[in-house]
Amino acid sequence: MDDLPLTPLDRGLLRLMQIRGLIAGGFILAAALAGEVWIQRLAAVPRGLLVAAALLILLYLAVLAPPRRYRAWGYGMDGEELRVRRGVWTRVHTVVPLDRVQHIDVSQGPLERMLGICSLVLHTAGTLHSQIVVPGLARGTAESLRDEIRGRIREEPA
Amino acid sequence: MSDGADRRLHPGTIALRLVKEAPQMLALPAALAFSSRTGLSGALYLAAALALVLLAAKWLAWRQFRYGVGPAEIVIESGILSRNRRSIPFDRVQDVDIERTFLARLFGLAKVRIETGAGGKDEGLLDSVSLAEAHRLRETVRAGRAGAAAAAVGSEAPAPRILFAMEPPRLILFGLFNFSLVYIAGLFALLQTFDRFLPFDIYDPARWVGLVDEYLPARWTFGAIAAVLFVAALLGTLAGVLRTLSRDYGFRLSLEGERFRRERGLFTRSEAVISRRRVQLAEVGSGPVRGLFGWSGLSFQTLGAGTERGGPQSAAPFATRLEIETVLAEVPPLRLPPPPELIPVSRRHIARSVAARLVPALAAILALSWWLPLAVALVALLPLLAVAAALERRFHRYSLDRDMLFVSRGVWRRRLWLVPLANIQALSLSRGLLQRRLGLATLSIDTAGASLINAPRIVDLRTEAAEGLAAEISRVLRYRPSPSSVPAQDGRSEPPSTAHPE
Repeated sequence: MDDLPLTPLDRGLLRLMQIRGLIAGGFILAAALAGEVWIQRLAAVPRGLLVAAALLILLYLAVLAPPRRYRAWGYGMDGEELRVRRGVWTRVHTVVPLDRVQHIDVSQGPLERMLGICSLVLHTAGTLHSQIVVPGLARGTAESLRDEIRGRIREEPA
Repeated sequence: MSDGADRRLHPGTIALRLVKEAPQMLALPAALAFSSRTGLSGALYLAAALALVLLAAKWLAWRQFRYGVGPAEIVIESGILSRNRRSIPFDRVQDVDIERTFLARLFGLAKVRIETGAGGKDEGLLDSVSLAEAHRLRETVRAGRAGAAAAAVGSEAPAPRILFAMEPPRLILFGLFNFSLVYIAGLFALLQTFDRFLPFDIYDPARWVGLVDEYLPARWTFGAIAAVLFVAALLGTLAGVLRTLSRDYGFRLSLEGERFRRERGLFTRSEAVISRRRVQLAEVGSGPVRGLFGWSGLSFQTLGAGTERGGPQSAAPFATRLEIETVLAEVPPLRLPPPPELIPVSRRHIARSVAARLVPALAAILALSWWLPLAVALVALLPLLAVAAALERRFHRYSLDRDMLFVSRGVWRRRLWLVPLANIQALSLSRGLLQRRLGLATLSIDTAGASLINAPRIVDLRTEAAEGLAAEISRVLRYRPSPSSVPAQDGRSEPPSTAHPE
């Protein structure tokens, strides 16, 4: 299944993952700070234990994990199918024949807009993979991919 | 991003949604008025403020929702913060539903639902536009796929042909396999509900023991236990037969042109129509005992999961191999796997399923031995996990035959999936941590209308075998004999013998 070279996603996705990790880690850190105050009143736990743990989690979420996750992503398209690879722990490689695509979304959240990237979402009639998402594409790339797939659908006889 | 999407929903939509949400909106101020000292005036202020906020939100959502009709597609743009742009090609549209609730009718509006047969729910929902606009949209889409519209309506209706029917003797035999104690439990539940109306207490053990006493000389002898078990088995069997009779009495599957018609039922006679073109794949189910006697059941998986028309449809619940072949012959390329046996999955599947179950099993035993030290003896049962895993692997097989993929799985509930490659929506190869260690991969095959749990998934193939199989399937999908024989909407290859009349 790996005969097709896969293209990495836009660097903006890495930034997005880092920002999201930072936000999630920040929440955990805030919760840990609050927990620290509370727990000191109850028992003699070494000071800063919770905060240290939260800092480690923050380090993992914002610094260590994103590059690995980013590198795991890849996509490739030829005239017949789109392939998407993702996942660090469980590696998943998905193949969608283009003439199975029912409709196409190009979506962009506020963070994505800031970073100038968007996601391409292919909807198929299936249930397990009714949506195949390719995140972190430059605007132009996403739109040209969409137009190419749309072209494929249109030449399909009804 | 605004090309094409040049229309907005009817402004009345804002009013319609406000009216629809008014009851919930008023709940909070009303509760406040009752529970606190703010009184009526405070509640009114709050209600007004809430209404204003809601109005603003609805207006914003309305302003940000745009749609338009291009030369070959419908474009929908939505979202206040996250913008989403969806393109639905005309060729993919199955149907344009126009729905008018009572409230919408008051406002002169209509909800337009563009159905594409995709797995999701609201694929293209325009809520709401004016009635005239709804009709215009429907006409545009229909004109856009004029060719498909001509083919959709079969003009000729040949006489129905019965493919499969069950006579009472067969039904009773089928019922014997549907042995179930659930109904006895159900009876007890019913008794419990009407407990107070009964002249005796069903939970009075003395009464039940007394009952046994009346008929049997000694309590809890071997004979007494055997008798109780025998009665339970008899009741269970009877319940199974009665239930089967009431559900499947007069079962008949017939073919009328492009659709199957299934009639069944003793008390409520139900009739279902299964369009031949919507059949995605077939599933043959059996069990250890009925399999031994050569009986199995056939059901079709049809397009449109989650809707009443979708999901698995029983086509022949209790049939011989020959009967199943007769039905399958009407839906080419569906067929039973050819004689060479299906290939079992990797032997390491056993190792992985043992490893995956050992940890929870050990944890359960440890937890139990906390209270019950004797439970440690249960460790002796752990080798059974390996036996179960080996059995599982024995029945988990697959094979690829030209344009069909066959997958079988299950020891007690044996399932055999017959998947036409042309109906595969997407393929996915996944490898977890343990799987990578063992050099295994799972191949998931996605089809329209599939259930999430019982999908034709091939678990734990050797990685090379899985990759080879995926490559082979994708190769077949690329070079299908003639692309014109694949209808875009159904994704199911059409049998050449039943091509649409032009």
